[in-house]
Amino acid sequence: MVFSFIVIPLLVAAFLPIIGKFSKKLVPDVLTNAALAFLLFNSILLVKPIFNQGTIVQNVNWFGEKVNLQVALDGFNLFMLFTISLVSLCISLFSIDYLEHYGHKANFYALLLVMIAGMNGLVLVPDLFSIYLFLEVAAVASYALVAFGLGYDELEASFKYLMLSVVASAFALLGITILFGMTGSLSFQAVAQGLQDLNARYVVGVCVAFFIMGFGLKAALVPFHAWLPDAHPSAPAPISAMLSGLLIKVSGVYALFRIIYSVIGMTPVLSQVLMALGTISMVVAALLALGQKDVKRMLAYSSISQVGYIVLGLALGTPLGIAGGLFHLFNHAVAKGLLFLNSGSIQHITGTRNLDELGGLGKRVPITAGTNLVGALSIAGVPPLAGFWSKLIIVIALIQAKQFGYALVAILASILTLWYYLLIQRKAFFGKISEKWLHIKEAPFWMSAANVILALICIFVGIFFTPVFKTWISPAAEALAKGIQQVLMWGI
Amino acid sequence: MSNLWFLYLFFSALLIFIGIYCLLTMRNLIKLFIAVEIISKGVSLAIVATGAVKNSVLLAQSLAITYIVVEVSLVATALALIINIYKKNKSLDVRLLSKLKG
Amino acid sequence: MVIQILLLCGLIIFSGLAILFKDLLKAALSLAVASLFLGIIFFRLNAPYAGVFEISVVAGLITVLFILTIALTKKEGEVEEAKLAKVVFPLFFILFLIIDGLVMKSLLQKVPSLPSGPEAGTFGEVLWKQRTFDLVAQIGVIFAGVLAVLALFRKKEDDKDE
Repeated sequence: MVFSFIVIPLLVAAFLPIIGKFSKKLVPDVLTNAALAFLLFNSILLVKPIFNQGTIVQNVNWFGEKVNLQVALDGFNLFMLFTISLVSLCISLFSIDYLEHYGHKANFYALLLVMIAGMNGLVLVPDLFSIYLFLEVAAVASYALVAFGLGYDELEASFKYLMLSVVASAFALLGITILFGMTGSLSFQAVAQGLQDLNARYVVGVCVAFFIMGFGLKAALVPFHAWLPDAHPSAPAPISAMLSGLLIKVSGVYALFRIIYSVIGMTPVLSQVLMALGTISMVVAALLALGQKDVKRMLAYSSISQVGYIVLGLALGTPLGIAGGLFHLFNHAVAKGLLFLNSGSIQHITGTRNLDELGGLGKRVPITAGTNLVGALSIAGVPPLAGFWSKLIIVIALIQAKQFGYALVAILASILTLWYYLLIQRKAFFGKISEKWLHIKEAPFWMSAANVILALICIFVGIFFTPVFKTWISPAAEALAKGIQQVLMWGI
Repeated sequence: MSNLWFLYLFFSALLIFIGIYCLLTMRNLIKLFIAVEIISKGVSLAIVATGAVKNSVLLAQSLAITYIVVEVSLVATALALIINIYKKNKSLDVRLLSKLKG
Repeated sequence: MVIQILLLCGLIIFSGLAILFKDLLKAALSLAVASLFLGIIFFRLNAPYAGVFEISVVAGLITVLFILTIALTKKEGEVEEAKLAKVVFPLFFILFLIIDGLVMKSLLQKVPSLPSGPEAGTFGEVLWKQRTFDLVAQIGVIFAGVLAVLALFRKKEDDKDE
């Protein structure tokens, strides 16, 4: 049942604050993780029908009366749903131990679940206005979660994030309003059909500019990235992982490319603009990351840079490019989730995130150090880890499309990425251990467990690259590459 | 009919301009949030006017109402944030919020 | 039509006042008046429900929330605004007015749109049957808002005994 992806998190979130009055820790922990595990299981069950049929369209009847609760699922949605479920399950496992010193677990989990419900809804709805709404659901929950520590930095970062993101969603909604005005409807299918009949290139261009401003700000593409290096590091570690790993991709990249590919239709000019934006973010953010002292700030800049890769691949428009972009999206969600959780472990172990103070932790905390190494190498694109393959596919796709300049920049930026990740490794885990850290202990069980699971996924996907690519990534890329035809075929 | 649409879009663009100008220049946190409110007024004017001009005012109305509900929950969150910031540094000056540099 | 344009001008003027007033209370009140104008415009556009919501929720509830916040932060909440920003505002405003007018005028004939027939059904039917998903999302947004406020105003003491 596809609808459960939205209903179950919302229901659990509704009961959690009440349950939290009686049981402060155990029941919220179990309930949240059980709900998320169920969603992951559910999304795996859906693989086969999608693989066979291509799309699923479900309608819900409310007491026998026809209402418009409609979800449409194709390869692309399912791919996103699976990514969301997988990473968020690991994050909530991590939170079991990490949230001990924040307190108010029930409230935290409830917000986390509302955010997940928002993202799942955003991915599932075939309707422009509903996309905006679910984006807002996830965003409101994320403002509160960024500020959850109630410290000075958290509040400041959350306020900045809120201001910019409200303006962003206002612009996205304006774009949606103009499309609504031209075609008189809001569902993907009707708008796509209407735009085909109208052939209004200039006005659609204005709409796309609004969408790029709005969703580009959510995805933190470079001219609009100012909020991210504040908001992501300030949040508690699981939330940083959630924001960097999932939210910017779902509410930025997914929404933008879903609308562009399935509703408006990709054009060569648009493709060039988005590729340029992606490349600029890739390079600028990688350069900015080099100078950072704080582990989490460096990771945040790295997120901007990697989103640049994803946008570059997706904007290229060839099936291989889209597949590479999507594959990198998945790999980055897993690896960046892992690295942010890991930075939480480091902070939990030592109490600091400053790279200059750390050093030589490797021998004392082998699990944390090992998983960090795996995540870093995966993002930097070292074979045989998962990130290598996705970057390779993007570069090959660029060369196939005769975009040699972009291909060269992508390779150079990847070397830059490797450089600053090795910087983290060298400063934090290798070298001589300072006196301060002689008596540190390994992170608690669930924190290490979440790290290990994510690291294993990085390795597993890298080694079994071919079957994973065939069953997961190709259907998603196909669904997107078919463009408007895909949506028109839904037969709603 | 479409001339009318542009009249309303003209005014909603003005509202959004006022909001963004205020957002860029003002220093009081509450003022900044008033700016956000003005922007969202512009957006809801655009939605309802679009519906009214294009013969789908019922649909546009339900969108506007949903938008207002979203606005309320945003306002509640933002004002809670502002009160918390005020508790921390006893001032509403946005210039004090410059510890983090994007 | 003239009345409608006057109402729109009133909306703009009060929104402008809301950012120009130095006193926050006056600013919040003129924002409420602007909402009132917007609500009346909605009524005249045949959108009575949206009008009612605009007046009762935005002009009512949100203004109350604003005034509450202003009262809570009154003591030391005075902030010196930049003088220049207010002086330059009319200049920029008129500049934008001209650009806006030119853009809208040049687009006037160029936006094609599908012909649309009269809408069937009543407001309730549209809301419940066409936009049902929005209602689910509304529940989500309300949850998010309530939980956010709960999280931001939680008591500090609780943190210690956990």
